[in-house]
Amino acid sequence: MSKRPRSDEIAKYYLRAERITKIYGDGTVAVRDVSLDIHQGEVIGLLGENGAGKTTLTKMLSGLLPPTSGRVSSPLGAIRFSSPREALAFGIGMVHQHFALVGTFTAAENVALSHERPFARTQLANTRARLEELMAESGLHVPLDVPVEKLAVGEQQRVEILKVLTREVDCLILDEPTSVLTPLEVDELFVFLGKLRDEGKSIILITHKLKEVKSITDRIIVLRHGELVGDVRTSESTTETLAQLMVGEVLEHEADAVELSDRDLPIRRVRKPVDRATQSVLHVQSLTSKGNTGETAVDDVSFDIHGGEIFGIAGVEGNGQSELVESLTGLRVPIAGQATINGTNILGKDPREIYKLGVAHIPEDRWELGLILPFTLAENAILGVHQWKQFKGPLSFLRWGRINKHVRELMDRFEIRATGPSAPAKSLSGGNQQKLIVGRELAKDPAIIVASQPTRGLDIGAAKYIRDLLVEMRDIGRAILLVSADLDEVLALSDRVAIMYEGQFMTVCPPEELTRERVGLLMGGVREEAVA
Amino acid sequence: MTEDKKQASRLLRGIHRTLTGLHPALESVLAAIVGLLFGALIMWVWGYDPIVAYKTMLLGAFTDKWGLADSGAIAAPLVLTALTFSICLRAGMFNIGAEGQVIMGGLAAISVGFFVLPSGLHHVVALVFAMVAGGIWAIGPAILKLTRGVNEVISTIMFNWIAHFLSIFLIGAVLLNPFSADQTIAIPPSAIFSKLIRGTDLTYAIFIVIGFALIVYFVLWHTAVGYEVRASGLNPSAARYGGIKNKRTMFLAFVLGGISAGLAAAVILMGSSATHAMYRLHGQLRNIGFDGMAVAMVGRNHPIGILFSAMFFGGLNAGGRLMQLSSSPVPVQMVRLVMGIIVFTMSVPELARVFPAVKRHSVGLVKEMKRLTSSKGRR
Repeated sequence: MSKRPRSDEIAKYYLRAERITKIYGDGTVAVRDVSLDIHQGEVIGLLGENGAGKTTLTKMLSGLLPPTSGRVSSPLGAIRFSSPREALAFGIGMVHQHFALVGTFTAAENVALSHERPFARTQLANTRARLEELMAESGLHVPLDVPVEKLAVGEQQRVEILKVLTREVDCLILDEPTSVLTPLEVDELFVFLGKLRDEGKSIILITHKLKEVKSITDRIIVLRHGELVGDVRTSESTTETLAQLMVGEVLEHEADAVELSDRDLPIRRVRKPVDRATQSVLHVQSLTSKGNTGETAVDDVSFDIHGGEIFGIAGVEGNGQSELVESLTGLRVPIAGQATINGTNILGKDPREIYKLGVAHIPEDRWELGLILPFTLAENAILGVHQWKQFKGPLSFLRWGRINKHVRELMDRFEIRATGPSAPAKSLSGGNQQKLIVGRELAKDPAIIVASQPTRGLDIGAAKYIRDLLVEMRDIGRAILLVSADLDEVLALSDRVAIMYEGQFMTVCPPEELTRERVGLLMGGVREEAVA
Repeated sequence: MTEDKKQASRLLRGIHRTLTGLHPALESVLAAIVGLLFGALIMWVWGYDPIVAYKTMLLGAFTDKWGLADSGAIAAPLVLTALTFSICLRAGMFNIGAEGQVIMGGLAAISVGFFVLPSGLHHVVALVFAMVAGGIWAIGPAILKLTRGVNEVISTIMFNWIAHFLSIFLIGAVLLNPFSADQTIAIPPSAIFSKLIRGTDLTYAIFIVIGFALIVYFVLWHTAVGYEVRASGLNPSAARYGGIKNKRTMFLAFVLGGISAGLAAAVILMGSSATHAMYRLHGQLRNIGFDGMAVAMVGRNHPIGILFSAMFFGGLNAGGRLMQLSSSPVPVQMVRLVMGIIVFTMSVPELARVFPAVKRHSVGLVKEMKRLTSSKGRR
């Protein structure tokens, strides 16, 4: 399979997908019945929300993931590779969102490492020469002799791209390449991609930023819930139509998509007007936080949440939502701004002190943060409340009797199905694990609930159960901050919605004032004025 | 090709599940048996009679009062140094500084020879001295880790050597026995534990050891402090989310481990040997810390498991001495060889998981097996 197609063979198409479908082991349909051709000399934008199947589709196109049905072929026949290295030899290179670089190696060493015989004596010298040639050609400059971990994220990405380019690829796939780049770096990258296209390469750009897609691509493919909903020439599309395609107007697929629709949920009807004259539960003023790589992740955000309301934050993941939640729950120290709960400052305090003020936190990563998987149900049920008087006796002795009783109550009340309090948390299904976390947090009788991606990865029943619980908590006067990548969920549950893009709120308004089209535009970073 | 691969990974998964699915205690027993069998193989290869040797060893170590007492005497300090390792491992750290903490504990225990106190009180003071010294010696690596992020494996090894040479200096300059140039002053009889069984090395200190192991068990599994230690060891980010201060639990685990190691030195010096002093190269204390790690591993890092595994290792050592007196005299080094193999065997389930290379080779293995079975069928 290491033979490459000749240029006359790929005149018609370079890659062809015929009715490919991918169903994962757990029954998730990631991609459904997609057919498309990829030609040489074009830049294709692959657009879609989180979980729309973009990454799965590109993996199948690059021959690394076999489709459940249908076939991916080149003019030489069906393609199937067992490693990225084989795919590279064929001419397909992919730059992932997460870099695969050895931090202590230099750029040249990292690139040499990706070649067939990385430790051959002349490999490093050859690679260097080739890299210098390529850098002059492409304008993508990186210092070659500095350990990669010392480079800025943008430079690291350039190393990844150069790594693929040294292998003379015919098709370059970039997964969200701009999410870690500064605007200037984005411009540079795009100029270079244009150059590659003119040389006759195929480029697939995975993104959810509308503006970018418009500025560079020739053709745009839109995926929604794994289905191909649009394959249009960029020149014939507008940001509005793209947004509409990406988000969908109404939910047609009841069963496999998110099952929410406004009609099904009683929330809209019973909404009580919130008395804005009273003091808010959570008050946030000009909060600014840095992300893990030192970029400004939350940028001057202000909002208030009152008791009895759900404040939803929608937006494409990675636009500062996680950092915002972490800043409010004591897991991250913001660099500027204020935040108070019922008038008490919470910034710079550790999680235990913040919990004491009546905060419940349903974290987005239930395996990394929410649970200690090897621990039992009982041990997990007291995480964060293990210092409470009702569970801790004199000499810091834990009252296992009471704890087990508490767990049984939780299991009853929140329908957690498990063999008993001493079952390890890892033996529970995802839905039951999440119910355990939600139960533990709601049992704190909190004033405010911070729920981050509370239904991610859950089956429909469990997801609905947790959504109903959140609404129930709102109806008894709790304040709720809901952060979710699931747009339908945020729109259906929230009393007010904020759309977050690059660390800022694009808008804050009741969900009725938002059309899906407008949400799509705002999530893609297109401001109101630009639309009007 | 893919079919072979599939079969290979199925085979591997099966082996892996068998190895890891065992009850932890069973796994330890299995490792012990494999270690003993391998030791037997080596004895057989070199022309010894493994059956006679093992019979001598096991009968000598576990069947009569004196044998059991000797095994227990060797086991006692191992329990404590095993706890040092286990407590820190439960908190998510790899503390191999027990060796140095034992030395410091020993020096402190011996320093009670400078003053006269009534028996009983003298015991208590010596024990407290040893525990405090061991605990303080553990603070060094702990602070380096918590403030500067120094890897505890490196720093504890360094602290072991610092303790080693510091003790040589102190033994020669401060605690020096005027009548014997290479040893310290003796621990006065008023601070020596009396023998539990006459004629053996087993003293009343064994109760302190068992008590300490039980206390560690209760602290780890029945108090909020221990809960925090275990939580932060298993998943530091979830622990932080749960309001636990990881640095505090790490510090606590280090100090508690140091206390345990210091106590180990006191238990040895205040009982078993006839001279009750420390030698310049601390013969009685040597390797107590490292052997403790093997004991901890076989004891599955659980205080109760450690009590049993220490008794097993104690028996190996006590019985091993008899092995060289049997009708087929085997060198006593054989005991350490068996110990080494046991430690290796304990890590096999991990190995199966860690090396993807194993998977690649197993593809060839399955092919080979297929070829063999099919050719057999033809015949």
